[in-house]
Amino acid sequence: MHWNNKEWMFVQSAGDDLISISVATPREAQELAGRLRESREHLDVVPGIDSVVVQFDIATMKRRDVEENIAKVLAQPGVADTKARSVVEVPVCYGDEAGPDLERVCEQLGITQDEFVAMHSGREYEVELLGFTPGFAYIGGLDEKLNVSRLPEPRVRLPAGSVGIMGGQTGLYALPGPGGWPLVGRTSFTLFDIHSDDPFVLVPGSKVVFVAVDKL
Amino acid sequence: MTIQVLNPGLQTTIQAAPRVGTRHLGVPASGPADPLSMALANKLVGNELSAPALEVTLTGMSFRADVKTQIAITGATAACTVNGKPAQQHSTLQLAPDDEVQIGPAEKGARSYVAFAGGLLADEVLGSRSTYLPAGFAGYEGRSLRKADRLGLVDAEQRVEELRTPAAFRPPMVGSWTVRAGRSSETGLLMDADQLFDTKFTVANRSNRMGLKLEGARFDVRSDGRMPSAPVFPGTIQCPEDGELFVLSIDAGTTGGYPRVAKVARVDLHLLGQLCPGNQLMLIERKEADAETELREKHNYWSAWLPGVDRII
Repeated sequence: MHWNNKEWMFVQSAGDDLISISVATPREAQELAGRLRESREHLDVVPGIDSVVVQFDIATMKRRDVEENIAKVLAQPGVADTKARSVVEVPVCYGDEAGPDLERVCEQLGITQDEFVAMHSGREYEVELLGFTPGFAYIGGLDEKLNVSRLPEPRVRLPAGSVGIMGGQTGLYALPGPGGWPLVGRTSFTLFDIHSDDPFVLVPGSKVVFVAVDKL
Repeated sequence: MTIQVLNPGLQTTIQAAPRVGTRHLGVPASGPADPLSMALANKLVGNELSAPALEVTLTGMSFRADVKTQIAITGATAACTVNGKPAQQHSTLQLAPDDEVQIGPAEKGARSYVAFAGGLLADEVLGSRSTYLPAGFAGYEGRSLRKADRLGLVDAEQRVEELRTPAAFRPPMVGSWTVRAGRSSETGLLMDADQLFDTKFTVANRSNRMGLKLEGARFDVRSDGRMPSAPVFPGTIQCPEDGELFVLSIDAGTTGGYPRVAKVARVDLHLLGQLCPGNQLMLIERKEADAETELREKHNYWSAWLPGVDRII
Protein backbone atom coordinates (compact mmCIF):
# COMPACT_ATOMS: atom_id res chain seq x y z
CA MET A 1 0.00 0.00 0.00
CA HIS A 2 1.32 3.38 -0.92
CA TRP A 3 0.41 5.02 2.36
CA ASN A 4 2.68 2.69 4.29
CA ASN A 5 5.72 3.48 2.21
CA LYS A 6 7.20 6.15 4.48
CA GLU A 7 10.42 6.75 2.61
CA TRP A 8 8.57 7.41 -0.61
CA MET A 9 6.37 10.11 0.86
CA PHE A 10 7.94 11.59 3.98
CA VAL A 11 7.12 15.21 3.10
CA GLN A 12 4.99 15.77 0.00
CA SER A 13 2.43 18.06 -1.56
CA ALA A 14 -1.24 17.27 -0.93
CA GLY A 15 -2.59 20.15 -3.01
CA ASP A 16 -1.77 23.71 -4.04
CA ASP A 17 -1.70 24.99 -0.43
CA LEU A 18 -1.11 21.73 1.46
CA ILE A 19 2.00 19.87 2.61
CA SER A 20 1.67 16.38 4.09
CA ILE A 21 4.20 14.83 6.47
CA SER A 22 4.11 11.09 7.11
CA VAL A 23 4.69 9.88 10.67
CA ALA A 24 4.72 6.44 12.30
CA THR A 25 2.10 6.75 15.04
CA PRO A 26 -0.90 8.91 16.06
CA ARG A 27 1.07 10.06 19.09
CA GLU A 28 3.89 11.24 16.84
CA ALA A 29 1.33 13.07 14.69
CA GLN A 30 -0.07 14.89 17.75
CA GLU A 31 3.37 15.80 19.01
CA LEU A 32 4.65 17.09 15.65
CA ALA A 33 1.42 19.00 14.96
CA GLY A 34 1.73 20.70 18.35
CA ARG A 35 5.26 21.88 17.60
CA LEU A 36 4.37 23.04 14.07
CA ARG A 37 1.37 24.97 15.44
CA GLU A 38 3.66 26.81 17.86
CA SER A 39 5.52 28.38 14.94
CA ARG A 40 2.27 30.21 14.03
CA GLU A 41 3.33 30.35 10.40
CA HIS A 42 0.48 28.23 9.01
CA LEU A 43 -3.27 28.64 8.56
CA ASP A 44 -3.95 25.19 9.98
CA VAL A 45 -1.89 22.24 11.21
CA VAL A 46 -3.98 19.09 11.24
CA PRO A 47 -2.81 15.70 12.57
CA GLY A 48 -4.19 12.44 11.17
CA ILE A 49 -3.53 8.86 12.25
CA ASP A 50 -0.22 8.56 10.41
CA SER A 51 0.31 12.03 8.95
CA VAL A 52 0.22 15.76 9.64
CA VAL A 53 -1.01 18.18 6.98
CA VAL A 54 -0.05 21.85 6.99
CA GLN A 55 -2.23 24.39 5.16
CA PHE A 56 -0.41 27.61 4.36
CA ASP A 57 -1.33 30.96 2.81
CA ILE A 58 -0.02 30.73 -0.75
CA ALA A 59 -0.85 34.40 -1.28
CA THR A 60 1.85 35.44 1.20
CA MET A 61 4.18 32.43 1.61
CA LYS A 62 6.34 30.42 -0.74
CA ARG A 63 6.07 26.64 -0.65
CA ARG A 64 9.86 26.34 -0.46
CA ASP A 65 9.99 28.53 2.68
CA VAL A 66 7.23 26.53 4.35
CA GLU A 67 9.03 23.27 3.53
CA GLU A 68 12.26 24.65 5.02
CA ASN A 69 10.44 25.63 8.18
CA ILE A 70 8.93 22.15 8.42
CA ALA A 71 12.38 20.59 7.93
CA LYS A 72 13.71 22.69 10.84
CA VAL A 73 10.88 21.59 13.12
CA LEU A 74 11.36 17.95 12.07
CA ALA A 75 15.06 18.21 13.02
CA GLN A 76 14.22 19.26 16.58
CA PRO A 77 13.71 16.56 19.22
CA GLY A 78 10.12 15.65 20.10
CA VAL A 79 8.54 16.43 23.46
CA ALA A 80 7.03 13.52 25.39
CA ASP A 81 3.44 13.96 26.59
CA THR A 82 3.61 13.12 30.29
CA LYS A 83 0.22 14.50 31.34
CA ALA A 84 -1.68 12.00 33.53
CA ARG A 85 -5.30 11.47 32.51
CA SER A 86 -8.19 9.79 34.31
CA VAL A 87 -10.19 6.96 32.75
CA VAL A 88 -13.54 7.93 31.20
CA GLU A 89 -16.31 5.29 31.22
CA VAL A 90 -18.48 5.41 28.11
CA PRO A 91 -21.72 3.38 28.26
CA VAL A 92 -22.53 1.63 24.97
CA CYS A 93 -25.72 -0.11 23.90
CA TYR A 94 -24.55 -2.71 21.34
CA GLY A 95 -26.41 -4.11 18.32
CA ASP A 96 -30.01 -3.95 17.05
CA GLU A 97 -31.19 -0.42 16.25
CA ALA A 98 -28.33 1.14 18.22
CA GLY A 99 -25.72 -0.73 16.19
CA PRO A 100 -27.28 -1.57 12.80
CA ASP A 101 -24.08 -3.05 11.33
CA LEU A 102 -23.12 -5.29 14.28
CA GLU A 103 -24.79 -8.38 12.82
CA ARG A 104 -22.99 -8.01 9.46
CA VAL A 105 -19.68 -7.18 11.18
CA CYS A 106 -19.93 -10.33 13.33
CA GLU A 107 -20.74 -12.44 10.26
CA GLN A 108 -17.72 -10.99 8.49
CA LEU A 109 -15.50 -11.68 11.53
CA GLY A 110 -17.01 -15.12 12.20
CA ILE A 111 -17.93 -14.40 15.83
CA THR A 112 -21.19 -14.03 17.79
CA GLN A 113 -22.52 -10.67 18.93
CA ASP A 114 -21.90 -11.64 22.57
CA GLU A 115 -18.28 -12.44 21.71
CA PHE A 116 -17.97 -9.07 20.02
CA VAL A 117 -19.31 -7.20 23.06
CA ALA A 118 -16.99 -9.15 25.35
CA MET A 119 -13.99 -8.25 23.20
CA HIS A 120 -14.92 -4.59 22.71
CA SER A 121 -16.07 -3.55 26.18
CA GLY A 122 -14.35 -3.66 29.55
CA ARG A 123 -10.82 -2.85 28.42
CA GLU A 124 -8.83 0.36 28.41
CA TYR A 125 -8.32 2.27 25.18
CA GLU A 126 -6.65 5.58 24.35
CA VAL A 127 -7.98 8.51 22.27
CA GLU A 128 -5.53 8.94 19.40
CA LEU A 129 -7.05 11.82 17.50
CA LEU A 130 -9.85 14.38 17.41
CA GLY A 131 -11.14 15.15 13.96
CA PHE A 132 -13.89 14.76 11.41
CA THR A 133 -16.56 16.76 13.30
CA PRO A 134 -16.41 18.50 16.72
CA GLY A 135 -16.02 15.90 19.44
CA PHE A 136 -15.46 12.91 17.14
CA ALA A 137 -12.86 10.77 18.88
CA TYR A 138 -10.64 8.20 17.16
CA ILE A 139 -9.89 5.60 19.82
CA GLY A 140 -7.04 3.16 19.22
CA GLY A 141 -6.12 -0.21 20.63
CA LEU A 142 -8.97 -2.30 19.23
CA ASP A 143 -8.42 -6.07 19.32
CA GLU A 144 -6.71 -7.07 16.07
CA LYS A 145 -9.45 -9.64 15.42
CA LEU A 146 -12.02 -6.82 15.13
CA ASN A 147 -10.42 -5.14 12.14
CA VAL A 148 -13.10 -4.31 9.54
CA SER A 149 -13.21 -1.92 6.60
CA ARG A 150 -15.30 1.20 5.90
CA LEU A 151 -18.72 1.02 4.29
CA PRO A 152 -18.31 1.08 0.49
CA GLU A 153 -20.67 4.07 0.43
CA PRO A 154 -20.91 6.36 3.46
CA ARG A 155 -24.22 6.83 5.29
CA VAL A 156 -25.94 10.15 4.59
CA ARG A 157 -27.06 10.56 8.17
CA LEU A 158 -26.45 8.69 11.40
CA PRO A 159 -27.56 9.64 14.93
CA ALA A 160 -25.38 11.41 17.51
CA GLY A 161 -23.61 8.99 19.85
CA SER A 162 -23.13 6.36 17.14
CA VAL A 163 -20.21 4.01 17.85
CA GLY A 164 -18.37 2.73 14.78
CA ILE A 165 -15.32 0.55 14.24
CA MET A 166 -12.83 0.58 11.38
CA GLY A 167 -9.28 -0.58 10.79
CA GLY A 168 -8.37 -1.25 14.42
CA GLN A 169 -10.11 1.80 15.85
CA THR A 170 -13.36 2.77 17.50
CA GLY A 171 -14.94 6.05 16.46
CA LEU A 172 -17.45 8.00 18.52
CA TYR A 173 -19.73 10.24 16.44
CA ALA A 174 -20.56 13.22 18.66
CA LEU A 175 -22.98 14.76 16.16
CA PRO A 176 -25.64 13.53 13.77
CA GLY A 177 -24.47 13.62 10.16
CA PRO A 178 -22.79 11.55 7.46
CA GLY A 179 -20.39 8.74 8.31
CA GLY A 180 -18.62 5.81 6.71
CA TRP A 181 -17.77 3.46 9.61
CA PRO A 182 -19.81 0.31 10.32
CA LEU A 183 -21.93 1.07 13.41
CA VAL A 184 -21.84 -1.44 16.28
CA GLY A 185 -23.60 0.53 19.01
CA ARG A 186 -24.62 3.86 20.42
CA THR A 187 -23.83 5.89 23.55
CA SER A 188 -25.74 8.56 25.45
CA PHE A 189 -22.41 10.01 26.63
CA THR A 190 -22.01 13.71 25.69
CA LEU A 191 -18.86 14.10 23.59
CA PHE A 192 -19.16 17.75 22.68
CA ASP A 193 -20.87 20.53 24.64
CA ILE A 194 -20.43 23.98 23.18
CA HIS A 195 -22.01 25.54 26.31
CA SER A 196 -19.30 24.10 28.53
CA ASP A 197 -16.07 25.99 29.28
CA ASP A 198 -14.26 22.95 27.94
CA PRO A 199 -16.43 21.73 25.03
CA PHE A 200 -14.21 18.75 24.15
CA VAL A 201 -14.83 16.00 26.71
CA LEU A 202 -12.25 13.62 25.25
CA VAL A 203 -8.84 14.78 24.00
CA PRO A 204 -5.89 12.92 22.47
CA GLY A 205 -4.38 10.83 25.28
CA SER A 206 -7.68 10.40 27.19
CA LYS A 207 -8.24 6.84 28.48
CA VAL A 208 -11.60 5.27 27.65
CA VAL A 209 -13.42 2.13 28.82
CA PHE A 210 -16.66 1.05 27.07
CA VAL A 211 -19.29 -0.33 29.44
CA ALA A 212 -22.01 -2.49 27.84
CA VAL A 213 -25.55 -1.37 28.79
CA ASP A 214 -28.95 -2.84 27.82
CA LYS A 215 -30.56 0.45 26.81
CA LEU A 216 -29.64 4.11 26.41
CA MET B 1 -33.10 47.82 14.58
CA THR B 2 -34.11 44.35 13.43
CA ILE B 3 -35.21 42.43 10.40
CA GLN B 4 -37.99 39.88 10.69
CA VAL B 5 -37.97 36.72 8.60
CA LEU B 6 -41.21 36.30 6.62
CA ASN B 7 -40.22 33.20 4.62
CA PRO B 8 -36.88 31.55 5.46
CA GLY B 9 -36.70 29.50 2.24
CA LEU B 10 -34.84 26.19 2.03
CA GLN B 11 -31.81 27.18 4.10
CA THR B 12 -30.79 30.69 5.12
CA THR B 13 -27.91 31.15 7.58
CA ILE B 14 -25.74 33.95 8.90
CA GLN B 15 -22.16 33.60 7.62
CA ALA B 16 -19.08 35.72 8.28
CA ALA B 17 -15.31 35.17 8.26
CA PRO B 18 -14.44 31.45 8.44
CA ARG B 19 -12.84 29.70 11.45
CA VAL B 20 -9.09 29.40 11.09
CA GLY B 21 -6.80 27.16 13.15
CA THR B 22 -9.49 24.87 14.65
CA ARG B 23 -9.36 21.92 12.26
CA HIS B 24 -7.26 19.83 14.69
CA LEU B 25 -10.27 19.95 17.04
CA GLY B 26 -12.57 18.61 14.34
CA VAL B 27 -14.05 22.08 13.84
CA PRO B 28 -14.23 23.10 10.17
CA ALA B 29 -14.04 26.56 8.61
CA SER B 30 -17.69 27.34 7.79
CA GLY B 31 -18.21 30.86 6.43
CA PRO B 32 -19.86 31.69 3.10
CA ALA B 33 -19.79 28.92 0.49
CA ASP B 34 -19.09 31.69 -2.07
CA PRO B 35 -16.99 34.22 -0.12
CA LEU B 36 -16.39 36.39 -3.19
CA SER B 37 -20.10 37.06 -3.69
CA MET B 38 -20.59 37.81 0.01
CA ALA B 39 -17.67 40.26 -0.05
CA LEU B 40 -19.23 42.01 -3.05
CA ALA B 41 -22.49 42.45 -1.10
CA ASN B 42 -20.69 43.85 1.94
CA LYS B 43 -18.73 46.25 -0.27
CA LEU B 44 -21.99 47.76 -1.61
CA VAL B 45 -23.13 48.76 1.90
CA GLY B 46 -19.73 49.98 3.09
CA ASN B 47 -18.97 47.04 5.41
CA GLU B 48 -15.82 45.09 6.05
CA LEU B 49 -15.76 42.37 3.39
CA SER B 50 -16.58 39.53 5.78
CA ALA B 51 -19.16 41.29 8.00
CA PRO B 52 -21.98 38.90 9.05
CA ALA B 53 -24.52 38.60 6.21
CA LEU B 54 -27.22 36.18 5.02
CA GLU B 55 -26.47 33.19 2.83
CA VAL B 56 -29.67 32.20 0.97
CA THR B 57 -29.89 28.78 -0.69
CA LEU B 58 -31.65 27.94 -3.99
CA THR B 59 -35.28 28.83 -3.17
CA GLY B 60 -34.82 32.43 -2.01
CA MET B 61 -36.34 34.02 1.13
CA SER B 62 -38.09 37.18 2.32
CA PHE B 63 -37.88 39.53 5.30
CA ARG B 64 -39.14 42.88 6.61
CA ALA B 65 -36.92 45.61 8.06
CA ASP B 66 -38.12 47.86 10.91
CA VAL B 67 -35.61 50.62 10.30
CA LYS B 68 -34.25 52.86 7.55
CA THR B 69 -31.11 51.16 6.27
CA GLN B 70 -29.18 49.98 3.23
CA ILE B 71 -28.81 46.44 1.89
CA ALA B 72 -27.27 44.73 -1.14
CA ILE B 73 -28.00 41.40 -2.82
CA THR B 74 -25.38 39.45 -4.81
CA GLY B 75 -24.55 35.86 -5.78
CA ALA B 76 -26.96 33.60 -7.66
CA THR B 77 -29.00 35.29 -10.39
CA ALA B 78 -32.48 35.79 -8.91
CA ALA B 79 -35.48 38.09 -9.32
CA CYS B 80 -35.57 40.33 -6.24
CA THR B 81 -38.20 42.82 -5.09
CA VAL B 82 -38.68 45.52 -2.46
CA ASN B 83 -42.40 45.93 -1.66
CA GLY B 84 -43.15 43.95 -4.81
CA LYS B 85 -41.21 46.28 -7.10
CA PRO B 86 -38.18 44.90 -8.96
CA ALA B 87 -34.89 45.58 -7.17
CA GLN B 88 -31.44 45.35 -8.77
CA GLN B 89 -28.86 42.85 -7.60
CA HIS B 90 -25.33 44.22 -7.24
CA SER B 91 -26.66 47.66 -6.18
CA THR B 92 -26.97 49.48 -2.89
CA LEU B 93 -30.70 49.37 -2.01
CA GLN B 94 -32.31 51.94 0.30
CA LEU B 95 -34.85 50.51 2.75
CA ALA B 96 -37.46 52.45 4.72
CA PRO B 97 -39.10 51.06 7.89
CA ASP B 98 -41.56 48.22 7.11
CA ASP B 99 -40.15 47.61 3.65
CA GLU B 100 -40.45 43.98 2.57
CA VAL B 101 -37.60 42.38 0.65
CA GLN B 102 -37.95 39.23 -1.39
CA ILE B 103 -35.05 37.28 -2.86
CA GLY B 104 -36.43 35.08 -5.60
CA PRO B 105 -35.40 31.49 -6.43
CA ALA B 106 -31.90 31.10 -7.89
CA GLU B 107 -32.08 31.04 -11.68
CA LYS B 108 -28.35 30.49 -12.20
CA GLY B 109 -26.02 29.71 -9.31
CA ALA B 110 -27.01 28.25 -5.93
CA ARG B 111 -26.60 30.92 -3.25
CA SER B 112 -27.55 34.58 -2.87
CA TYR B 113 -25.98 36.88 -0.28
CA VAL B 114 -27.73 39.75 1.49
CA ALA B 115 -25.56 42.28 3.30
CA PHE B 116 -26.87 44.94 5.70
CA ALA B 117 -25.25 48.28 6.44
CA GLY B 118 -23.18 47.70 9.58
CA GLY B 119 -23.68 43.92 9.47
CA LEU B 120 -25.94 41.50 11.35
CA LEU B 121 -25.62 40.73 15.05
CA ALA B 122 -24.38 37.16 15.39
CA ASP B 123 -23.06 34.79 18.07
CA GLU B 124 -19.32 34.19 17.98
CA VAL B 125 -18.04 30.67 18.73
CA LEU B 126 -14.42 29.52 18.50
CA GLY B 127 -13.34 32.75 16.85
CA SER B 128 -16.04 33.13 14.18
CA ARG B 129 -19.63 34.32 13.79
CA SER B 130 -20.29 31.88 10.96
CA THR B 131 -23.12 29.40 11.55
CA TYR B 132 -21.93 25.79 11.70
CA LEU B 133 -25.12 23.77 11.24
CA PRO B 134 -23.90 20.21 12.04
CA ALA B 135 -22.91 21.20 15.61
CA GLY B 136 -25.56 23.92 15.90
CA PHE B 137 -23.41 26.85 16.96
CA ALA B 138 -22.67 30.51 16.12
CA GLY B 139 -24.59 32.81 13.78
CA TYR B 140 -28.25 32.90 14.80
CA GLU B 141 -28.74 30.25 17.52
CA GLY B 142 -26.53 27.89 15.51
CA ARG B 143 -29.31 27.12 13.06
CA SER B 144 -30.86 28.14 9.77
CA LEU B 145 -33.50 30.86 9.99
CA ARG B 146 -37.18 30.20 10.60
CA LYS B 147 -40.29 32.24 9.96
CA ALA B 148 -40.70 35.13 12.45
CA ASP B 149 -37.05 35.09 13.63
CA ARG B 150 -35.86 38.61 14.45
CA LEU B 151 -32.24 39.39 13.59
CA GLY B 152 -30.50 42.39 15.10
CA LEU B 153 -28.57 44.94 13.06
CA VAL B 154 -25.32 46.19 14.58
CA ASP B 155 -25.67 49.74 13.27
CA ALA B 156 -28.16 50.31 10.47
CA GLU B 157 -26.87 53.76 9.64
CA GLN B 158 -26.14 54.52 6.01
CA ARG B 159 -22.40 54.60 5.33
CA VAL B 160 -22.10 54.80 1.55
CA GLU B 161 -23.64 56.65 -1.37
CA GLU B 162 -25.36 54.29 -3.77
CA LEU B 163 -22.90 51.90 -5.39
CA ARG B 164 -23.20 49.43 -8.23
CA THR B 165 -20.80 46.57 -8.88
CA PRO B 166 -19.09 47.31 -12.23
CA ALA B 167 -19.98 44.71 -14.87
CA ALA B 168 -16.38 43.46 -14.95
CA PHE B 169 -16.65 42.49 -11.26
CA ARG B 170 -19.92 40.56 -11.38
CA PRO B 171 -18.99 36.86 -11.18
CA PRO B 172 -20.69 35.02 -14.04
CA MET B 173 -23.42 32.60 -12.92
CA VAL B 174 -23.64 29.67 -15.32
CA GLY B 175 -24.86 26.09 -15.56
CA SER B 176 -21.54 24.63 -16.63
CA TRP B 177 -18.37 25.26 -14.60
CA THR B 178 -14.66 24.70 -15.00
CA VAL B 179 -12.69 24.50 -11.77
CA ARG B 180 -8.92 24.29 -11.41
CA ALA B 181 -7.66 21.36 -9.32
CA GLY B 182 -4.48 19.43 -8.65
CA ARG B 183 -3.38 15.98 -7.59
CA SER B 184 -3.42 15.01 -3.92
CA SER B 185 -1.99 12.40 -1.55
CA GLU B 186 -3.78 9.32 -2.93
CA THR B 187 -4.21 10.25 -6.60
CA GLY B 188 -1.82 7.37 -7.29
CA LEU B 189 -4.46 4.88 -6.11
CA LEU B 190 -6.64 5.67 -9.14
CA MET B 191 -6.21 3.20 -11.99
CA ASP B 192 -6.63 6.09 -14.43
CA ALA B 193 -5.87 9.47 -12.84
CA ASP B 194 -6.12 11.32 -16.16
CA GLN B 195 -9.84 10.52 -16.11
CA LEU B 196 -10.15 13.20 -13.37
CA PHE B 197 -9.43 15.92 -15.90
CA ASP B 198 -11.22 14.31 -18.81
CA THR B 199 -14.73 13.83 -17.44
CA LYS B 200 -17.83 15.97 -17.66
CA PHE B 201 -19.28 15.57 -14.17
CA THR B 202 -22.84 16.33 -13.11
CA VAL B 203 -23.44 17.73 -9.63
CA ALA B 204 -25.73 15.28 -7.79
CA ASN B 205 -28.78 16.12 -5.69
CA ARG B 206 -26.91 15.06 -2.56
CA SER B 207 -25.02 18.34 -2.35
CA ASN B 208 -24.90 20.93 0.43
CA ARG B 209 -22.50 22.99 2.59
CA MET B 210 -20.71 19.76 3.59
CA GLY B 211 -19.92 18.74 0.05
CA LEU B 212 -20.94 17.96 -3.50
CA LYS B 213 -21.33 14.49 -4.92
CA LEU B 214 -20.23 14.15 -8.54
CA GLU B 215 -21.88 11.83 -11.05
CA GLY B 216 -20.85 10.98 -14.58
CA ALA B 217 -17.92 8.64 -14.01
CA ARG B 218 -17.00 5.73 -11.79
CA PHE B 219 -13.33 5.54 -10.88
CA ASP B 220 -11.39 2.35 -10.26
CA VAL B 221 -9.57 2.93 -6.98
CA ARG B 222 -7.09 0.54 -5.35
CA SER B 223 -8.48 0.85 -1.85
CA ASP B 224 -9.34 -1.76 0.76
CA GLY B 225 -11.42 0.69 2.80
CA ARG B 226 -8.94 0.72 5.68
CA MET B 227 -6.87 3.80 4.96
CA PRO B 228 -5.86 5.49 8.24
CA SER B 229 -7.95 8.66 8.68
CA ALA B 230 -6.12 11.68 7.36
CA PRO B 231 -6.64 15.47 7.21
CA VAL B 232 -9.01 16.80 4.55
CA PHE B 233 -9.88 20.38 3.59
CA PRO B 234 -12.50 22.34 1.66
CA GLY B 235 -11.82 21.39 -1.95
CA THR B 236 -10.47 17.90 -1.15
CA ILE B 237 -11.96 15.39 -3.61
CA GLN B 238 -12.37 11.90 -2.19
CA CYS B 239 -13.11 8.60 -3.89
CA PRO B 240 -14.84 5.88 -1.85
CA GLU B 241 -14.78 2.30 -3.08
CA ASP B 242 -18.02 2.82 -5.01
CA GLY B 243 -15.91 4.99 -7.33
CA GLU B 244 -18.12 8.10 -7.24
CA LEU B 245 -16.23 11.25 -6.28
CA PHE B 246 -17.31 13.82 -3.74
CA VAL B 247 -15.89 17.30 -3.23
CA LEU B 248 -15.66 18.56 0.34
CA SER B 249 -16.95 22.06 1.07
CA ILE B 250 -16.66 24.56 3.94
CA ASP B 251 -18.67 22.59 6.52
CA ALA B 252 -17.12 19.17 5.78
CA GLY B 253 -15.38 17.13 8.47
CA THR B 254 -11.69 17.80 9.05
CA THR B 255 -10.38 14.24 8.70
CA GLY B 256 -11.51 11.36 6.54
CA GLY B 257 -10.46 7.96 5.35
CA TYR B 258 -11.47 7.75 1.72
CA PRO B 259 -8.59 8.25 -0.72
CA ARG B 260 -7.90 11.95 -1.41
CA VAL B 261 -7.57 11.84 -5.17
CA ALA B 262 -7.55 15.57 -5.99
CA LYS B 263 -7.87 19.02 -4.45
CA VAL B 264 -9.62 22.05 -5.90
CA ALA B 265 -7.09 24.88 -6.10
CA ARG B 266 -7.66 27.81 -3.73
CA VAL B 267 -8.05 30.11 -6.75
CA ASP B 268 -11.39 28.46 -7.69
CA LEU B 269 -12.64 27.25 -4.30
CA HIS B 270 -15.25 30.04 -4.13
CA LEU B 271 -16.94 28.72 -7.28
CA LEU B 272 -18.02 25.54 -5.44
CA GLY B 273 -20.57 27.61 -3.52
CA GLN B 274 -22.54 28.32 -6.68
CA LEU B 275 -22.70 24.77 -8.09
CA CYS B 276 -26.23 23.38 -7.99
CA PRO B 277 -27.63 19.91 -8.57
CA GLY B 278 -27.72 19.21 -12.30
CA ASN B 279 -24.87 21.61 -13.16
CA GLN B 280 -21.96 20.38 -15.27
CA LEU B 281 -18.43 20.44 -13.88
CA MET B 282 -15.03 19.94 -15.54
CA LEU B 283 -11.82 19.81 -13.51
CA ILE B 284 -8.81 21.50 -15.11
CA GLU B 285 -5.42 20.26 -13.92
CA ARG B 286 -3.06 22.77 -12.36
CA LYS B 287 0.34 22.09 -10.83
CA GLU B 288 1.05 23.81 -7.50
CA ALA B 289 3.22 26.60 -8.94
CA ASP B 290 0.66 27.51 -11.62
CA ALA B 291 -2.21 27.44 -9.14
CA GLU B 292 -0.26 29.87 -6.95
CA THR B 293 0.55 32.24 -9.84
CA GLU B 294 -3.06 32.21 -11.01
CA LEU B 295 -4.30 32.96 -7.48
CA ARG B 296 -2.05 36.03 -7.38
CA GLU B 297 -3.39 37.08 -10.79
CA LYS B 298 -6.97 36.71 -9.57
CA HIS B 299 -6.16 38.76 -6.45
CA ASN B 300 -4.57 41.47 -8.61
CA TYR B 301 -7.62 41.64 -10.84
CA TRP B 302 -10.21 41.76 -8.05
CA SER B 303 -8.31 44.12 -5.76
CA ALA B 304 -9.18 46.99 -8.15
CA TRP B 305 -12.77 46.75 -6.83
CA LEU B 306 -12.28 44.76 -3.62
CA PRO B 307 -9.11 45.82 -1.76
CA GLY B 308 -8.33 43.04 0.74
CA VAL B 309 -9.71 40.29 -1.54
CA ASP B 310 -6.58 38.23 -0.80
CA ARG B 311 -8.02 37.57 2.67
CA ILE B 312 -11.37 36.50 1.18
CA ILE B 313 -10.51 34.03 -1.60
